[in-house]
Amino acid sequence: MTGTWRPTPALARAVVVAALAAVAAVVSASPAVMVLGAPFVLLACMGLLHRPDSTPTVEAALDHRWLHEGQGTTSRLTLTDAGDVEHVARAMAPTPYVALHPPTGLVAGLADAVPTIEVGPRRWGRRVLGEEQVCLTTPWAGYRWGPVSLHGDALRVLPHTRRFESRAETPRPVGLVGVNRSPRLGAGVEFADIRPFRPGDRLRRISWRVSVRSRELHVTTSPSEEDSGVLLVLDALGDHGHSQGLDGEASSLDQSVRAAAAVAEHHIGAGDRVGLRVVGGDSGLVGYGAGTRHLRVLLDHLAGVRPGELPEGISERLQLRVTGGSVVFVFSPMLGPAIVTATASLVQRGLPVVVIDTLPPDATPRVPDGVDPRIADLAWRMRRLERDQVLAQLAALGCPVIPWRGAGTLDDVLRRLARRASVPQLAAQR
Amino acid sequence: MRDLTRETRSRLALRAVVLVAPVLALEAARPDDVPHRWFVALTLALAVGFAAMPESPFGTACLGLVAVWWALAAGDGVPAGAIPAALLLLAAHVAAVLLSYGPPALPIGTRVMLLWLRRGAVVAVAVPLLWLLAVLVDGQPEPPGIWVAGLGCAIVVCVVAATAVSTRQEHA
Repeated sequence: MTGTWRPTPALARAVVVAALAAVAAVVSASPAVMVLGAPFVLLACMGLLHRPDSTPTVEAALDHRWLHEGQGTTSRLTLTDAGDVEHVARAMAPTPYVALHPPTGLVAGLADAVPTIEVGPRRWGRRVLGEEQVCLTTPWAGYRWGPVSLHGDALRVLPHTRRFESRAETPRPVGLVGVNRSPRLGAGVEFADIRPFRPGDRLRRISWRVSVRSRELHVTTSPSEEDSGVLLVLDALGDHGHSQGLDGEASSLDQSVRAAAAVAEHHIGAGDRVGLRVVGGDSGLVGYGAGTRHLRVLLDHLAGVRPGELPEGISERLQLRVTGGSVVFVFSPMLGPAIVTATASLVQRGLPVVVIDTLPPDATPRVPDGVDPRIADLAWRMRRLERDQVLAQLAALGCPVIPWRGAGTLDDVLRRLARRASVPQLAAQR
Repeated sequence: MRDLTRETRSRLALRAVVLVAPVLALEAARPDDVPHRWFVALTLALAVGFAAMPESPFGTACLGLVAVWWALAAGDGVPAGAIPAALLLLAAHVAAVLLSYGPPALPIGTRVMLLWLRRGAVVAVAVPLLWLLAVLVDGQPEPPGIWVAGLGCAIVVCVVAATAVSTRQEHA
């Protein structure tokens, strides 16, 4: 960004006062006035002597463009052709959900140590920093460059994930490799049983101690270790409650996104394949995948979630397209009929589905203008009663509904699901 | 008023200097020539505007008014009060320069403050030197045409300075 040099009002003042004092001293034959004007003559001369002839350019850049909520980075200003610059002032406009240090966004200093502004996003999402004004000044404050406006940098803020850890295994491991114990025996490391040798058994599995004692070859068996398919379904049909960033109150979408990110990180860490389906808003879909790079894709997708209704026609026949053998986590306040119907149909298909209730307990609706708040409150209470009924019906179908509490939220539920998956089940005849 | 509450103590102190210094410089004239009240009131009003908006023409008007008053009050003498008056005007100007480096809530760094204190001190050295020179030449017979030549020099300096300032503005 380039600008132009202009004389400062301070230089103009020094010139005018010096000239006025000189003229007044001469006209009134009063040397005392010249004594008053002498400092201004010097200040004006010094200001004019430092008349700049450079064409500086300034550019502001962030040290990092990808951050997690609560992390911080630094906005640095790069000056080129800045030989005439003595002082630099920066003013960054405030941005919602972005903390600045200093909080006013105003910094200034000498050009040999260009001042920086620290930036800390407090909420996930795509954030564009506020416009910045930059002003340069020559020595003796004679000339000023700017202020010029710099467009704010864009930041991709990934959701906070640190709070979730689970020790429970994922039910229904069906993949090739992973850390979850499969119901089938295979080439794992954990002890399962000792049985007589059969053709095809590996020789290194022979238990020599048991074989010698029983005078018959025996082998140890172990359950195979496999990965699971985990589908995260995120309800972005609305955002209920108030969002105050990472340290404050969390809205339903805040809880959904942070919980989904935490669960995704946990299962990717466990070697599972994780997919994401966003219902509402931009309705994004991320296929199953594993590894750190895939986690980055998932978090990036979560950072871009925006609340919005489904198009008409789709909401009645919403299909989540879940493949068999997957575990489905639905992050939702369960206030939209479409997501409730889709969840119930998954449960009826026999898939292990866990609903994570993300509606804040004290969430209140936004009352539109012209609507009586008492009527809105009554409607909201009725809506919550309906929701309680829906959650009870889902639980009756065998779908656990649990509020998000961070670490350990899913342990008990996943253990019960794993136990249920290991029990032989009757197949319904059609 | 809301902007004032956001200001740091150092900025408020600088504004106080801008407000008070011109009035004190006016009062530093010879004791037998105490300024009229309306003149003090006018200077105070301009100083208030100067302190509130350090980049406004109020500053030039305020400092210029003090210089004009001194031209009227001092006559052809060289009172010692001219030294504190000059230093007060210089302090007001430097304080205004520091205030005008950025928006009202911008804190003024220690290094910038010290830099301008040094500059102010260097410039202030000229005041007693010039006063001493004026005292030495006071009462000496004046060469013919000295004041006319002085006026001519002052006009030339003004024209050169104004040209230097305005040339840049045209380029801008």
